[in-house]
Amino acid sequence: MGDIGKIRIRVPSNAKAGDVVRVRCLVIHPMERIERDAQGKIVDRNYNYITRVTATYLGKPVVVFDLSQSVSENPAFSFALKATAPGPVKVTFVDTHGGTYEGTADIAFA
Amino acid sequence: MRLLTPLRCAVMVLFVVGIALSAREVRSAASPTWVSHAIPEARGEIKVTPDGKRTAVRYKGWTTRDYGAFRTYAYDDTRPEPLVQKATAPAGVIGDPTKGRALFLDRQRGPCTGCHLVPGADVWPAGSVGPDLSTFGDRQLPDAFVYQQLWDPRVTYPATVMPPWGAQGVFTPEEIVHLVAFLKTLHGPPPPELDGDRNPFTRRRPTGFGDNLDPTNNPAVVRGEDAQSLWKTPGANGKSCADCHAGGPQQAMRGVATRYPRVVAEHGRVMSLEDFLSVHAEATTGRSLASESDANIDVTVMIKMASNGLPVAIDTTSAPARAAIERGKATFYRRVGERNHACADCHTPERGASKFLGGRFLGDATTGLTRHFPTWRTNQNEVWDMRKRMQWCMTPLGANMLAADSAEYAELELFLTTFDVGKPLSVPGIRH
Repeated sequence: MGDIGKIRIRVPSNAKAGDVVRVRCLVIHPMERIERDAQGKIVDRNYNYITRVTATYLGKPVVVFDLSQSVSENPAFSFALKATAPGPVKVTFVDTHGGTYEGTADIAFA
Repeated sequence: MRLLTPLRCAVMVLFVVGIALSAREVRSAASPTWVSHAIPEARGEIKVTPDGKRTAVRYKGWTTRDYGAFRTYAYDDTRPEPLVQKATAPAGVIGDPTKGRALFLDRQRGPCTGCHLVPGADVWPAGSVGPDLSTFGDRQLPDAFVYQQLWDPRVTYPATVMPPWGAQGVFTPEEIVHLVAFLKTLHGPPPPELDGDRNPFTRRRPTGFGDNLDPTNNPAVVRGEDAQSLWKTPGANGKSCADCHAGGPQQAMRGVATRYPRVVAEHGRVMSLEDFLSVHAEATTGRSLASESDANIDVTVMIKMASNGLPVAIDTTSAPARAAIERGKATFYRRVGERNHACADCHTPERGASKFLGGRFLGDATTGLTRHFPTWRTNQNEVWDMRKRMQWCMTPLGANMLAADSAEYAELELFLTTFDVGKPLSVPGIRH
């Protein structure tokens, strides 16, 4: 798919102030793998996968994921946060080729 | 007698006219005027190089082997099913169980393990479509009988699911002697099972992949959402979908997908939503939505998503629909290909459905398998519509695939959709 970097973020639509909510996000990314030779050395390839995922809520960082390898094509991540006020959750994905992809979702109180 | 001759002539004339009419009717069913609107790799074409080598044009990564020697699902393929062959083992060949076991497991051939379980940790993944052969040797069947079963089991069981391996040339006579020798060595009791998943009779059943309509769980949903922009973008004619269909796809297309596949009188054939889009979009907006193109799948997903939750309500009662369903049903039960298999062999409950073919759990057509297509395939990382899924089935059958938008597949899809009637659409699905 030629949709690299498309992001979908899901937050509960019926949260209340003070609730712990689970945020789920998916990024469309090929996550090309590292390969090793018979001796276990990393074969030099033009691999491309997401190494860092950061999320902010109300402008403050809430979580950082460091990935040491390609976990899955089109990976999904989820994390919990305490919804203190209505506002945006911003998730940033950075891959090994320097690509940066951003998506936001708004937490709104019912 | 002389007086009767003109009458007899008239009868003969009527008879001949009758044949001509019925022949024309069959041809119009196969829609000879239909020219495939599919992308080149989905048309089921065969390329012939000047030296006479034939290679099949298929999707990237698919086999290019030409199965032209074998029957296909095409309506104009009038070749009969391969004849039932009696056979006796060649004289002077002594069976070698070791060679036989290797042949039994050879994934380039059967593999026999795709349907039959035998002992051994390297037997992975074994299937359960055929009987468990772990203690086959204890049955003390005569060699000549077992040889015949492998060569062409239809001699004893005319309706068997097992392919005629020898008659179709998959195994040579010598190889079958080795296979027989191996089977005769299988005596009980079978060794204790260390891994419950090795044995298809105790293996865990697939449990699904969670909520298929959650965009953070099913990447195919993204494709449907992307098509929203196509909806509004004018094609070469300067018109867009939105110009005629007011209210956005969610409103304008609500319920439309539940009526497909249907007989479209204008084109004289059964069409799925994908087929219809491939001609309708080009005719109205000038935008090409070729079958199996990304744009076609995207728009199909979007339109079907607008009907999610609504029950499938195709026409199954009008005369043309009933005739098409009958033809689709005949296709479902028609044996084709090198393996001489029918769809029904794997996908009806009295045969292979809900059993394992190797590691694959076979779907049951009678539960309705079409209402989640186009579907996200987790092992392909692609969105496939019903037709690509059908084309993919042709390789294990050993038959050349037809064009994705062929009338044969359309009528087969219509027949399969009759099992979905009344059940809610849920597009895009997620399957392995």
